[in-house]
Amino acid sequence: MASHLLTAIVFVPLAGAVACALAPSARASRALALAVSGVVLALAVWLVAAFEPGAGMQFVERARWIPQIGAEYHLGVDGISLPMLALSALLTLLAVVASWNVSERPKTYFALLMLLAVGMNGVFVALDFVLFYVFWELVLVPMYFLIAWWGGPRRQYASIKFFLYTLFGSVFMLVGIIALYLHPAGGTLDITALAGRGFPAQFQMWAFAAFFLGFAVKVPVFPLHTWLPDAHVEAPTAASVLLAGILLKMGTYGFIRVTLPILPEASRAWAPAVAALAAVSIVYGAALAFAQKDLKKLVAYSSVSHMGFVMLGIAAGTAEGISGAVAVMFSHGVITGMLFLLVGMVYERTHTRMIEDVSGLSVQTPVAGGLLAFASFASLGLPGLSGFVGEFLSLLGAWKSELVPAGWVVVSAVGVLLAAAYMLSVVQRVVLGEPSKAVAGISDLSLREVGVLVPLVALTLVVGVWWDSLLRYVAPVAAELAKRAVGS
Amino acid sequence: MTELAVLLPEALVIIGALAALFAERLPGGDRTAARLGSALAFVAALSVAAIGTASPIAGGALAYDAIARDARLAVAGLTALYLLWLSGADLERVREMAAFALFAALGGMLMASAQDLMALFIAIELGTMPAYVMMGYERGDARTLEGSLKYYLLSMTTSLVMLYGFSLLFGLTGTTRFDHAGALAPQGLLGAFAAVFALAGLFAKLSAAPFHFWTPDAYAGAPASAVAFVSTAPKIAGTAALLRLATGVSAGEVVPLFFGAAALASMLLGNLGAYPQRDIRRLMAYSGIAHSGYVLLALGAGSANGLAYAIIYAIPSLAVMLVAAEEGTAVDDWAGLVQRRPAVAWALVALLLSLVGVPPMVGFFGKLAVFGAALDAGRTALVVVAVLMSVVSAGYYFRLLRPAFFAEGVLEAAEGVQRRAWTSGAAIAIATALTLLLPLGLRALQTLSGLRL
Repeated sequence: MASHLLTAIVFVPLAGAVACALAPSARASRALALAVSGVVLALAVWLVAAFEPGAGMQFVERARWIPQIGAEYHLGVDGISLPMLALSALLTLLAVVASWNVSERPKTYFALLMLLAVGMNGVFVALDFVLFYVFWELVLVPMYFLIAWWGGPRRQYASIKFFLYTLFGSVFMLVGIIALYLHPAGGTLDITALAGRGFPAQFQMWAFAAFFLGFAVKVPVFPLHTWLPDAHVEAPTAASVLLAGILLKMGTYGFIRVTLPILPEASRAWAPAVAALAAVSIVYGAALAFAQKDLKKLVAYSSVSHMGFVMLGIAAGTAEGISGAVAVMFSHGVITGMLFLLVGMVYERTHTRMIEDVSGLSVQTPVAGGLLAFASFASLGLPGLSGFVGEFLSLLGAWKSELVPAGWVVVSAVGVLLAAAYMLSVVQRVVLGEPSKAVAGISDLSLREVGVLVPLVALTLVVGVWWDSLLRYVAPVAAELAKRAVGS
Repeated sequence: MTELAVLLPEALVIIGALAALFAERLPGGDRTAARLGSALAFVAALSVAAIGTASPIAGGALAYDAIARDARLAVAGLTALYLLWLSGADLERVREMAAFALFAALGGMLMASAQDLMALFIAIELGTMPAYVMMGYERGDARTLEGSLKYYLLSMTTSLVMLYGFSLLFGLTGTTRFDHAGALAPQGLLGAFAAVFALAGLFAKLSAAPFHFWTPDAYAGAPASAVAFVSTAPKIAGTAALLRLATGVSAGEVVPLFFGAAALASMLLGNLGAYPQRDIRRLMAYSGIAHSGYVLLALGAGSANGLAYAIIYAIPSLAVMLVAAEEGTAVDDWAGLVQRRPAVAWALVALLLSLVGVPPMVGFFGKLAVFGAALDAGRTALVVVAVLMSVVSAGYYFRLLRPAFFAEGVLEAAEGVQRRAWTSGAAIAIATALTLLLPLGLRALQTLSGLRL
């Protein structure tokens, strides 16, 4: 049984999607979605418990799939994919609970959420390029419909922009995959087997460019980020949570899984440029977040900024840098998930997301206000909370790296200050003060809503205080990757 | 005499066509004719698969190799699917449509195995003549007549150019047989002209640029139910014939150049031309031009993957046109489809995304095969164009989905939901299932002679 654990985690939601779509009633459909995502989370917890840190790829499954093109059904997890898979399972469950009261086409809605989970889980465990690409693209369709059907006023524009941008990137990734396969040094679609094949430097540079386009759109790295604010602002809350929490990470996960080990020379050569784009993303995202009047847009732009830290750590290529990158990926998923959920909960009550219209949450709704303050502090990187771990390691790793010019590290560090500025201003204007007209009379969070947020709060605290809880999985793989691939 | 056993599928198709012509004598009339034709075409497809590959017959004029097997299987299978739909269609004179589709399928199946210029020309004409009638099906409609006349005149012109090329090839090489690589190798400038003329005829059958401009007008004039067949099954046969002819003819550098230029022009003109269209037939006509560009990209690289791609393209394309035949041919006619027929609307998602090339739909594996073949042949620049154009194509395919799902203010079933024959749903469901499940059915993919990286 244990050997098919990954298959179960990936494909149980597919059965769930069919069941949700065919369910006799809306209530049955959401109960099914809850049960299925609960089962998947339980399986993921089982996986984490059975996982041995530092022992490479585990729970590997291989089977013939399409022999003509050399594609295999090949799954496995290591210390980097494990936290992302667990996060994906957790956020899916929370997204279901957070969408409990969705009234418009609930059966379709939950079926799409389940389908999305198939793609998200699959990306993090696929070790065959064709399979990886299938899961990578699979997330687009449900996310497109989630935004286009249940989104805000500009949903049509935002959803198609999301789809086309990501498709634009991923088709170039496909060219990169085929190029690797056709190269005499390649000849396989096995992602792990392609590592360290020693492709010629010139070829690596071109292949890296193709993969970079594919991954960077997803992350998103400045200047390819413009789809993100639109998609986030228009998306329904649960979709925003999964978009920020998991879909963006697929891009950075791609850099760690594909370009670092397979194209090490190009990763080194491109590192200064990637670091520059990362630093620009950090500062630019932070500056734009500071300028936003819409709370949700502010959180969206802060994602651009935070994902910049991930890219900085990856560009550094050091053990600390890669560990930091994965830690930011994990904690950003948790913290931004919290922020989007809270923004959604406030919006449901006040029907506005404008910062100027919402104030005094701590007086009117102390639970919501307190949690929003907590999430804001976590987001700005307060030591003792999980946001700090990754940003610290990523900056440290970049500082120690010979590949990243020190100037960009300094610029990135300024981004931390900017994050403090915009997040504290949220706390000051939205949480503190006298209740505004929109806030007056609203009810505090229900038990269900608090229940959605508590696991995220707990994870933020645990990882922030006990770094090793996350890093014990990540650090051995990161060190190995840094040593073998980037040679630092 | 036993060697003629490989022609059993063709014989079944002829029987179906003749039976359809005498539909008055059949109990149930037109419907029975179409269903009988569908069943016979299906058995023909099965027998193609059962016979597999065999040695050439008719003194070597007709080959029965893997290319012929796959193309005949696909043509017969698609015809069976189309006739299944036709048997429940809301259309007059179904028997004529059924008979002509079967005759066209017969021509297509012979086209796929012809390796002699004479046999090829006769097969092409047999495959195309019924299409003229199908495209002009609504005899009273001026636009239909205009479109079908255009189709007829241009098709005839290109056929004659091709025949001229064939005659030059024969004159220069002294043979009409192209049964092995480089069998027809005319020399010099005249040889290059001969090769280009000969290929141009087949390019036109695929409606590849620069021989494409008749397509949108012809399709927009014809009933969607005719376009569904004419735009798909003959293309598979044409691709198979082109694959065989391009392998057999070697006339220096000009042939790959011709393929590359036509592929580039088709991808650009097809995809960009589809963008502003409001009529689904026109849009799919341009989309067909674009997909012919991908086919030529692979064929120009000397790869049989082009045939696999043509088959993979034809399945969803047929189904989309069948939906257009039922729901209306203007983009806005599809408004509110998800309320009226949710299953069809979701099927369209799979079908159209397969045309974009998004996994896990089968179209993705087709794109993979085509891009792989072209990259392997060093045609990187063309692949980059192809890749960009496939993103552009997502834009216009989504324009079809948008009214179906997100149209505002559509009254649910204002004029009462029309009862449709089960066959219409079944045909669309089968096409969708093929689109979704072919990647899972390993055996099915293995039989495609192309699809190899």
